[in-house]
Amino acid sequence: MTPFHYHAFGLNIDSHFELPALPQATDDASADVRIHTGSVSTEGLDNPNKATPFYQSSENTLWLNVPDIARFLVTDGNSILVDPYPGSDEQSIRLYLLGSCIGTILHQRKTLVMHGNAVRFGEKCVIFAGHSGAGKSTLAAAFHKRGHEILADDVCAIDAQGRVAPGLPQLKLWQDAANKLEIDTAELDRIRLQVEKYTFPLKQPVTEQLPVAAIYILSSHNLDEFEIQQIKGMKKFNPLKNNTYRMGILEGLGLKAEHLGLCSRLASRVDLARITRPNHGFKLEQLIEMISIDLQKKGIVAA
Amino acid sequence: MSEGIFWLASYPKSGNTWTRAFIANIRREEPEEEVDINALHTGAIASCRGWIDEVLGFDSADLSHDEVDLLRPAIYRWHAQQADDGGYHKVHDAYTLLPNGEALIPADATAGALYIMRNPLDVAISFAHHSNCSIDQSIENMGRPDFFFCGNTRRMTNQLRQKLLSWSAHVESWANAEKIEKLIVRYEDMRNDSLTTFTRICRFLNLPADEHSVQTALDKCAFDKLKQQEQEKGFSEKAPHHESFFRKGKVGDWQDTLTPEQIERVVADHHKVMQRFGYLDATGQPVTALPLDQLV
Repeated sequence: MTPFHYHAFGLNIDSHFELPALPQATDDASADVRIHTGSVSTEGLDNPNKATPFYQSSENTLWLNVPDIARFLVTDGNSILVDPYPGSDEQSIRLYLLGSCIGTILHQRKTLVMHGNAVRFGEKCVIFAGHSGAGKSTLAAAFHKRGHEILADDVCAIDAQGRVAPGLPQLKLWQDAANKLEIDTAELDRIRLQVEKYTFPLKQPVTEQLPVAAIYILSSHNLDEFEIQQIKGMKKFNPLKNNTYRMGILEGLGLKAEHLGLCSRLASRVDLARITRPNHGFKLEQLIEMISIDLQKKGIVAA
Repeated sequence: MSEGIFWLASYPKSGNTWTRAFIANIRREEPEEEVDINALHTGAIASCRGWIDEVLGFDSADLSHDEVDLLRPAIYRWHAQQADDGGYHKVHDAYTLLPNGEALIPADATAGALYIMRNPLDVAISFAHHSNCSIDQSIENMGRPDFFFCGNTRRMTNQLRQKLLSWSAHVESWANAEKIEKLIVRYEDMRNDSLTTFTRICRFLNLPADEHSVQTALDKCAFDKLKQQEQEKGFSEKAPHHESFFRKGKVGDWQDTLTPEQIERVVADHHKVMQRFGYLDATGQPVTALPLDQLV
């Protein structure tokens, strides 16, 4: 028996692990995904398509080894097997369950997963994508402070109709980002005891799926100016591919062709722009101003 | 299958980028044009978070600096086995051992380490410009046994923490590393006797070492040309607050720039290593660089 029943990313999730970050399932529908404990090979997979000492992937299977925390086996878009290392803490295990593992489940279910945050604007949402450290969560938190709801943090699942399914109702923020946003971290939990990054819970989680109106790819440079570059037509494809969540894992899952199709379909229905900000000082206010003006031009928010 | 990674190891501001520009030029298939300084593509720096995370399948940013360091040897070993690895990777970390006794830079992932050293009296000036601090501060940093880069724990940095140690300890860590093949070169010899020094470098790094190839590549990455490229189109590796990355590149600038007290302090902090590598004469007085044949 699995004691915990949750709903996130449009999936019913039954889990042996308590995952306090996830909303409870509201119905008795059968689970789409089961998270359970058991033995996972120390060696990895037989004949993987892609293999490093830390992850191996083959058709429908991911083996993930987070040293001193746990080994995970993610299969067929419906099962996550967890084999904790002796002495590891549940908080750390949860972090990888709700990161690389759930991301892989979504890949296996042929959902497009962007490495980004989704923020609500009216009846639509906007995704801020980019590599780790690009400032996605900080920007999302700043919009949250201005009254916008957040649909997804880091793992952003987009269904076949181009809608984002609400993920975890939380944002992960570094201490410096929290200071910038005047968020007191004294009452917040660290994501892991070892790092000064905090879980900021969202009080009113979004429950409905919202269509993506626009995507911004965030990056930075060593110049003082901001740059915004609209990306049109076929050129949208590569940025979508390059900002896919855990692209390396996906490649080994044998899903490249499906992924290509998902990216093309999304490219045809969203506005895409690249924003480059100065890497010296975040200049958050200017960034928000620039995005707000662009969203007005695109008719996503009222002028 | 590659035969391991060639590390381009140095304390910061010692000629590493110039060396990478040289390598990019000598490896270029169409040697007529200079390589773009913003597209050197010799290989990622060892502390590049993206290069690390590519192997992990999870975020290194969710681990502490010490936790990530424990994973680095396996990551380098994996990269060393990839056929498409660029092969020449810059590294500013000192050569250190992890708490489990393993070397951060594992011998079995290493084809060789080119160690580039520069007179610490000149490093102090260039490092101050790079770090946007006073020369006194950079001299102090170079003397600190626990100095590091990117060790902030309150935000994520694009690079992993790099333990530099003091300037002396950095030099000795690489110079005394026993298990790896290495070649130690001095910036001063690279500048003053470029053809001979870069020919040695090329032989060590398995690059074309004939006079024509070496001289052609040297001409393409002459300091003035790198500086001109930066003026024309900027340089992505420049620090944001910094006017230009390629500044003077001068040998012996300390003679005009440092105060007697500053010189005295650098010599006091680093005399043993300075003596060993020819930056002090027989009487213990600082010099730009003794000729190699006068080194003991």
